[in-house]
Amino acid sequence: MNQKGYLLKRILQMIFSYLIILTLLFFLFRIALPDPTAALVVEGLSEEERQLVQARFGLDQPLWRQYITYLVNFFQGELGISFHYRGPVFPILVDRLYNTLALMIPAIIVSYVIGPLLGVLLSWKRGSSTEFTGIVSGLIMRSAPLFWTGMIFVMIFGIWLGIFPTSGMRTMPYEAAHFFDKIFTLDFLWHLILPMLTVAIYYLGLPMLIMRNTMLEVMGEDFIELCRAKGLSERKIMYHHVARNALLPVVTQAAVTVGLAVGGQVVVEVVFSWPGLGREIVQAIQTSDFPLAQGAFMMMSGVVLVMNFAADMIYSYLDPRVGQGGGK
Amino acid sequence: MKKKVLILLLVPIFVLGLSLNVGAEPLPEFEMMTTTEDYDPVRYEAAFMIQENLEELGIMVDVQPTEFSTLIETFYDEQDFEITISGWSGRIDRLDPQHFLGTLHSGQTDLSGNNPGGYENDRVDELFEAQEREFDPETRQEYVFEIQDIAVSEQPKNVLFYRDEVPAYNQETFTGFEPMAGEGIYTEWLPFDAEPLTDDLTLTIGTSQEPDNINPLDSTTVWGWKFMRMYYDKLVRLTPDVEPEPWAAESVENIDDHTIEVVLRDDMYFHDGEPVTVEDVKFSYDYYVEQDFAYFRPFYEPLDYVEIVDDNTLHFVLEEPVGNFIDVTMSQIPILPQHEWEDIEVADDLGPDEIPTVASGPMQFEEFESGEFKSLSRYDDHFAADDVDIEGIDFIIYADAEGVFTGLITEEVDMNAWRLEPGHIDLAEEEEHLQLVEVPDFGYYHMTYNLRVEPFDDVDFRRAIAHAVDKDTIIEVLLDGLGEPGNSVIAPANPAWHNPNVEDFDFDLDLAREKLEEAGYYMEDGRLHFPEE
Repeated sequence: MNQKGYLLKRILQMIFSYLIILTLLFFLFRIALPDPTAALVVEGLSEEERQLVQARFGLDQPLWRQYITYLVNFFQGELGISFHYRGPVFPILVDRLYNTLALMIPAIIVSYVIGPLLGVLLSWKRGSSTEFTGIVSGLIMRSAPLFWTGMIFVMIFGIWLGIFPTSGMRTMPYEAAHFFDKIFTLDFLWHLILPMLTVAIYYLGLPMLIMRNTMLEVMGEDFIELCRAKGLSERKIMYHHVARNALLPVVTQAAVTVGLAVGGQVVVEVVFSWPGLGREIVQAIQTSDFPLAQGAFMMMSGVVLVMNFAADMIYSYLDPRVGQGGGK
Repeated sequence: MKKKVLILLLVPIFVLGLSLNVGAEPLPEFEMMTTTEDYDPVRYEAAFMIQENLEELGIMVDVQPTEFSTLIETFYDEQDFEITISGWSGRIDRLDPQHFLGTLHSGQTDLSGNNPGGYENDRVDELFEAQEREFDPETRQEYVFEIQDIAVSEQPKNVLFYRDEVPAYNQETFTGFEPMAGEGIYTEWLPFDAEPLTDDLTLTIGTSQEPDNINPLDSTTVWGWKFMRMYYDKLVRLTPDVEPEPWAAESVENIDDHTIEVVLRDDMYFHDGEPVTVEDVKFSYDYYVEQDFAYFRPFYEPLDYVEIVDDNTLHFVLEEPVGNFIDVTMSQIPILPQHEWEDIEVADDLGPDEIPTVASGPMQFEEFESGEFKSLSRYDDHFAADDVDIEGIDFIIYADAEGVFTGLITEEVDMNAWRLEPGHIDLAEEEEHLQLVEVPDFGYYHMTYNLRVEPFDDVDFRRAIAHAVDKDTIIEVLLDGLGEPGNSVIAPANPAWHNPNVEDFDFDLDLAREKLEEAGYYMEDGRLHFPEE
């Protein structure tokens, strides 16, 4: 199959997967979550009053009709009205998504820049105590629960030393004209450090270990022998020839991580009271806010699909055997 | 032939044996619904403690921790339960006994009603309807007391405990807080109570609950209203002793049993400088009725119409005489500026940025960033502004109680809006700058039986198992002693309506066994059996 055919096939696959996801999302929430107006009863709403609320949100319609409305609205770019906030879902989600990305992108950049570099170092120092320490700490970073790391950071840097703020993304009150006004400040960086490090440390282990393993594989190949025979310096061989070839799986991993990161790290967002998407999703589930939860998952699954697609494309570009039918 | 005779002889013996066995049926295993440990560890643990004691009596119980909304749906909407442990929160308008007594009224037994257990008692219904119409507080109190007497002794639900709220504040930065039952220190009077001890005149509150929205015609959470009442004025305010006090009104008076006369103050201005007039007051009430805001319907339902008598006098004419219109309705319905709202046709369609925030209260709205922050500032042209020592209130919104607690420790906030979790109380006591306040609540936690299921339809059975609930241990162990054992649906924190002389059911398993035996239940193979017929 040629490159174009492969591209087309992947796009069609992507659209088809997304339609399935849309359908699943609709039914999943309605089957798994209780009626969103149930909670109002505790607040003392009578049955009659509750029916009014149900009618307002269209919850009195049969399920199949709600489903059709849902699909039609989706294709018109309409994600609905949040049951909890009583406002349109989309602006709420976008706002939270930006906040989440402001935390996750720096974290991913830090971990995917430092991680692979450390991975190169580890494979280079194969057999030494540096490698041993590196692997063990990589595994520890990967397995330490995020909330635990986060809480330790809060305790040490926030409470004992008192040098970093422990919650939120800026010191309030603070009027920001727009999103970039909000994040391009020293105050924001100050708030970013602890949660960002918590996430970065967690993410760091994986690219580091993947890099090391692939490096070791590549080092065994013939062309490296050749480089050595040419008399290239060890550093040059490592960083120019081996590392470049070993980057492939790391790139794929990075794309997948970015996709998943859109959903935020719920735990980190809660520990540091970061007003991100993950925290919002948890709240939406708790209040049975179908439109908000659906919207969030639509957004997340959309990005995951696109990022997977991007990973495949990058992969087939970096390694032309993929997608040509010869990559098996 | 002989065989046939034998068989013929055996048949009646079998039939006789079977019929003798009819009554000898053990009680089935009952499902007890409670919250998840995550949602409320107290109710979760309490269920297991009760389960253990009931098993001692041979009553088998299967505890089902259920996600909160699902619990509410199963309990109220579907009434698909045998035993449920749940609670009612103490909202200020529930200090009037109407709401809690309504949970015992037969008119609320339908699906989704507030009496899901299906309790019906003619005398209770009669008294309930009588107290609703009664203007004389003493006579009304008699009715209210009698309802409590009946309900406690018939045990359609077992009121387990009233939980104390334990808020905390930084005693090095602010002082003067006056706690209110059920409200903690984040009361309507907070701006008047708080006295700054340092140069920082802005009170910062930490909270993990935030308003759903700040639309006075759309918010259906306590947290929305606790915030909005800071900047909206009402005709009447409830004092810390829960007495109605004229506020935006200069005087409020019942001139006959259908009419209330209100004289409005003449020194009031909205935050945009416009004067507050009788037209605005009439508009506000009419607007609530016209927009039919379901959440407030119990408040405005008794109202027939509002009439402007002269420049500062209004008459509120009621459809039926209602005893609590001044205490409940007038202290809850905010005064809206007519010039901001009159052109809004459907108030609950407003997007978050379109909601008018102009009001006339002692504080004025500044900002609300969902998930992050909200703030208020003092309104210097308010008639009571001289009594407010603080310049503003900032609210930092945290993701959870842990965040709020860290905020208190690091002195990022001066107080919390809600209670401390039991696990934080000991830690907070160790902090020198923190002062804890214990406030009783008038909401209650209860174990409700489905009276449509045998043997919960049997009063004697319910009375007997009331002795199997160890309320003191629940409070000591699960609440660290911060609470009171329950009996009536009206808590002792509400002294005007709480009946202090209702029957007591001491924890005593032997007594419970005795009473079950008296009622005809008996034990066999470790299981309690239904009475024989």
